[in-house]
Amino acid sequence: MSISRRKFLAGTAAAAVVASTTSVPRLWAAANHRSAHFNDQRILVVIQLSGGNDGLNTVMPYADDVYHRNRFATRIAADRVIKIDDYVGFHPALGGFGEMVRENRLAVIPGVGYPNPNRSHFESMDIWHSAHFTPPHRTGWLGRWIDEQAAKDRQTNEVNATAQALRALHIGDEPLPLALTGLNALVPSLKTIDSLRVASDELVQAALKMESVGAAPADLLDFLQGARSTALTAADRLKSIDVRQLQRTGDYDQSGLSRKLAAVAQLIKIGFGPRVYYVELAGFDTHSQQPDAHAALLGELGRAVRAFHRDLDGTAQAENVLTFCFSEFGRRVKENGSRGTDHGTAAPVMIVGPKELPKMSGKYPSLTDLDDGDLKFTVDFRSVYSTILQKWLGVDSASILGDKHPMLDFLG
Amino acid sequence: MSRRDIEKLWESRESESLTNAEAAHLYRRAAFGATSGEIKAATNEALGAVVDRMLDDAVSSEGAQLEKNFQQMKSVVIAGNIYTQLPAWWLYRLIHTSRPALEQMVLFWHGHFATSAAKVQSPTLLLRQNEAFRRHALGSFTDLVMDVSRDPAMLLYLDSATNRRNRPNENYARELLELFCLGVGHYTEKDIKELARAFTGWELRGETFQFNRFQHDPGEKKLLGKTGIESGEQAIEVIIQSPQTARFIARKLVRYFVSDGDDIGDDLIEPLAQSFRENGFQLRAGLRKLFTSRLFYSELSIGRKIRSPVDMAVGLLRTLQATTNTISLAESTRELGQSLFFPPNVKGWDGGRQWINSATLIGRINLVTKLLGPETTFKAGSSEKIDSAFGVQNATEAVGLAESLLLARVLNGKQKSEVVQKISSEKPERSNLLAAIKVLATMAEFQLA
Repeated sequence: MSISRRKFLAGTAAAAVVASTTSVPRLWAAANHRSAHFNDQRILVVIQLSGGNDGLNTVMPYADDVYHRNRFATRIAADRVIKIDDYVGFHPALGGFGEMVRENRLAVIPGVGYPNPNRSHFESMDIWHSAHFTPPHRTGWLGRWIDEQAAKDRQTNEVNATAQALRALHIGDEPLPLALTGLNALVPSLKTIDSLRVASDELVQAALKMESVGAAPADLLDFLQGARSTALTAADRLKSIDVRQLQRTGDYDQSGLSRKLAAVAQLIKIGFGPRVYYVELAGFDTHSQQPDAHAALLGELGRAVRAFHRDLDGTAQAENVLTFCFSEFGRRVKENGSRGTDHGTAAPVMIVGPKELPKMSGKYPSLTDLDDGDLKFTVDFRSVYSTILQKWLGVDSASILGDKHPMLDFLG
Repeated sequence: MSRRDIEKLWESRESESLTNAEAAHLYRRAAFGATSGEIKAATNEALGAVVDRMLDDAVSSEGAQLEKNFQQMKSVVIAGNIYTQLPAWWLYRLIHTSRPALEQMVLFWHGHFATSAAKVQSPTLLLRQNEAFRRHALGSFTDLVMDVSRDPAMLLYLDSATNRRNRPNENYARELLELFCLGVGHYTEKDIKELARAFTGWELRGETFQFNRFQHDPGEKKLLGKTGIESGEQAIEVIIQSPQTARFIARKLVRYFVSDGDDIGDDLIEPLAQSFRENGFQLRAGLRKLFTSRLFYSELSIGRKIRSPVDMAVGLLRTLQATTNTISLAESTRELGQSLFFPPNVKGWDGGRQWINSATLIGRINLVTKLLGPETTFKAGSSEKIDSAFGVQNATEAVGLAESLLLARVLNGKQKSEVVQKISSEKPERSNLLAAIKVLATMAEFQLA
């Protein structure tokens, strides 16, 4: 795997040339005729913290005695906290975030949740992904955004198979997130760039050119054929990149999240195409022995995100990338007896961007006015989505979320 | 769906015999595929007898010898304490077992009571859990849940080993209700807290379960509207007697064996759930009902599932009577999203469309190509002997045989002639059958189980 990674990363700088000469002007042209206000090159990077991140120990209300009383074994002493203001601060492992807050490029939105919180990992994750509250959750918020973009392109006759297949990209070995699933959207998901290389067997190569014509239940077969053609399109696009000119930059560590974000940065720099990148960091379900495990995860997160934005700084794309970190829920205010914490509700969301972001956007939830031991949310996650959709991706959020939600101030 | 339609779909076909295509379907779904010989034998018997044999406990002498091999390999994994070899051990067992339907159910329970070696790490405990699944796979669901709740690997995985009287840990209690027995929406947050109390004191001592009465909360618990519950065992009984549990397990079995889709309604599942309620939750009887039903061979089932990576690889090898390097195969199935003993989370593998993305689709094509290459040993001998061993004379016959054994749906004439032309116009492969499989594996249809 390290070889494939080197080959890929060795490959990624090359396409910067391609990007600056061809794809960028084409995208600009599209941006100009569509809207005077919005920049069609803007990119959203979603980092999903899977397992239910302990928000109270990520952005801790260190000045509140109630926090310390409820967290006998898992608390962080006030003098170790990286202070954001005189009430809250970051976990000491989040030095990277502390740095970015000081530069006004990271905003914390505390207390993000939704009404009638569900404490099942899977249900709550599906709710965040779909922004719908009752199963079956069939499409995701970003999948619906892709569907809408594709429909717009059809109207303006800008239909291009590669663009269709590459509006968003998931990098990781998990299944494709529901968030990226649309009615028509087909988003490639890959672990590394090498996972799209087809065996060089001649017979197989020839067979790939064959068209299938259905002899099976239409819905399943349509799905499989769509997935097949998305895979082959993405594979072709990758083949067209001149790998010799690509090189790895940036100051990443060896962690899994750093590897994924380094790959995202490379693809962004060459103008690979997607406007949404999606990666996951798992392991946040800290029911027992939380302190070391949680510190390691947060350290991985902070270092990777800092390295990622530093890597993009000074490139043409630096102004165009916004990173959004969320988890399906936070943990209970009171820790359990296993030096851990159980499933809870509201938790902070973090936004990292190119410029002037407020340090804190919104009010930290009360630690005493609780709902059966859980925080009451202060910001509905759909307001976060609305703000990103309208102010960053430049689309009408109501058509995607099915409803209007109050805008937040983190993007001005 | 009308009551009449539902009754019709649950009618038993046990005294009928199956067509070739139906027999291939039964074996692909329930038993990791079949050879031409097995299919022929199955069509000459009544379906009831075929299914009884499939689910039978009796072990042949060949089976007993194989079991010795599996146990020997197991002791090597344990002695070396190398938990990363677990997937290769099980894959070997799946490829060689004389009881594939039993193994399919062990795999079902592994995905249901998902426990990952990534956290537990002890080969001893994980293999002990694997044997417990095998012991109960076709037995009573109640016994299975009782065993799982005291299973050391599970206790470690869901932190119940640290479930203390004063500070109950809710993890196992939550998953028992949400994922193992009832499903979301059929319990309250209060039920979880009460159940966690019932399980306080269920601990590990070294590598074995122990009940620590000093850490057990002896007070009364109220669960699912029932009062007077004290122990964990009583709580489990209450959960299993809930009508919803039979429905939840029946639904999951139907999803695993019949159809990935949501188009099978609760009313159609109900007869299977009802049989579990009436027969003391005996799994063998429930599976027999399912595999002999009209439903199982209907349009609601044929071609309605996407193959899992393990099903695809093991099925291909068993069908071709071949074996391969299972260490390397374990790595391949991991890349395709299914690493045995390493389920992604406590929900197990979602399956269905979740198996498929750009990388795994291309990975599946590459895996079939690899499995037909030099790492694989065929019982027929070297690859030029394969066609004659399978009675295949030319490209057309090769495509026909590959299709009947491996595809859930027949190809149309145009597709078939295109495949025939591909393999005959390419430079001569040593085996038409293997060439045909290589080409079929690139088609969307190949992914259907």
